[in-house]
Amino acid sequence: MEEAIGWTIRLRHGDAGEWEEFAGWLEADPGHLRAYEEVALADDEAAALLPLRQPPAAEPQPWETRKAPVGRRLVLGGAAAAAIAATFGYVSLVAPRDIYAIETAPGQRRTVALDGGTNIELNGASKILLDRKDVRFARLERGEAWFEVVHKADDPFRVEAGPAVVRNVGTKFNVLHEGETIAVEVAEGAVLFSSDGEEVGLSAGETAQRQAGQVTTARRDASMIGGWRGGQLNYASASYAEIARDLSRSSGVEVRAAPEVAGRRFSGVIAVDPDRELMRRRLAALLEVDVRLAGQGWILAPPDR
Amino acid sequence: MAEIRGEKSPRASGIEAVFLASREALLRFLRARGAGEEAEDLLQELWMKAAAGTSAPVAEPLAYLYRTANNLMLDRRRGEVRRLRREREWSDATTMGGGSASAVPSGERVLLARDEVRSLDAALAALGGRTDAIFRRFRLDGVAQQEIARENGISLSAVEKHLQKAYRALLQFRSRSDAE
Repeated sequence: MEEAIGWTIRLRHGDAGEWEEFAGWLEADPGHLRAYEEVALADDEAAALLPLRQPPAAEPQPWETRKAPVGRRLVLGGAAAAAIAATFGYVSLVAPRDIYAIETAPGQRRTVALDGGTNIELNGASKILLDRKDVRFARLERGEAWFEVVHKADDPFRVEAGPAVVRNVGTKFNVLHEGETIAVEVAEGAVLFSSDGEEVGLSAGETAQRQAGQVTTARRDASMIGGWRGGQLNYASASYAEIARDLSRSSGVEVRAAPEVAGRRFSGVIAVDPDRELMRRRLAALLEVDVRLAGQGWILAPPDR
Repeated sequence: MAEIRGEKSPRASGIEAVFLASREALLRFLRARGAGEEAEDLLQELWMKAAAGTSAPVAEPLAYLYRTANNLMLDRRRGEVRRLRREREWSDATTMGGGSASAVPSGERVLLARDEVRSLDAALAALGGRTDAIFRRFRLDGVAQQEIARENGISLSAVEKHLQKAYRALLQFRSRSDAE
């Protein structure tokens, strides 16, 4: 067993020569394989379990976060800006708008600092429109963003997402806009969420979700909100379909849930790991699915054995 | 397979060339690793993975291929273990009816997973802070032993000893949690 452990340790960063030597060791005695497999499984399970540790605060950020609003800015001319402004449902006659877009690819993230102390973190596969003439405005076209906004009583920060508007009273909150779904989660402070003629006030630990024209509110642990920024996806009874969608956005790997498992639910924490293979195995262990490769993406499928 | 050559990026063709040149060695490895009659099929799977390319440049293509082959075997073994556990749960299950063997509500499974995390944490902590930290640095942060030795100002063999100790604890943990 000592030897099997030694091999497991060595092979973690093994070169080709060591792997060959390992093959020789396995061939020397059939007991070697059994011993190695036992260690390898123990090692694998520990790796799948340990990153689940809570709280995630002390964990290093898996990605570098880019500061400052750099990157691909799409500057729109006057006419295009006016067209976009028109689709926002109102056109400001006083201040002309100067809209630009910031977009991220799946797995990519951006941090945007606006004047007035606003920080926005954009998750992968997301697009946000901002206005150079109005730093108290953002429109989440799609995807997910985390907002940290400084309170100004006479000038609330406004986030639009689809037909919904979040007006904020100085706070930290997360907004998701995915197809027809719009969800707001408040980590600190309070916001006003209005959609379809309804308006609800949300304070820390409260969430609102708009789906098919209906707004529902719920509560969740405020410290869990926006966990994706630290590579932690926190769930309370989320469907595998939702989890697949979040993973695609955060990791850049296109993840889909097979119909047989799409409706299953999971509660807990999933760590997005830059080591794809590790993440894949952790997912399989946590969700009790087979994670099959399909092209460049993954499919969460029922275990076939 | 030959026609696949030439149409890939230089990096991809690099790893493919290494694969072709090391076919026999990889096959031997898969056999030694317990693939049996399926060794050829698994080699094919390995080839597909290698040809599909990896997202990051591969510094040591052959070591990468070995590691991937090893993971294929591990995946299979894990599938078997899962199946056995499910069968055991199935026969242990007090619930009746046509529900599937994994009919344990996922909330409950998560609790189990959390309990496991807690007891694994405790098992590692019981080894002493240094062993625990070195193991995590090695296994979870992926830091090489030389680097850990430097960080802690200890010898390479001391690092190895800490790791051996941690792995023995993992094995114990595993046999204990399996027995439950």
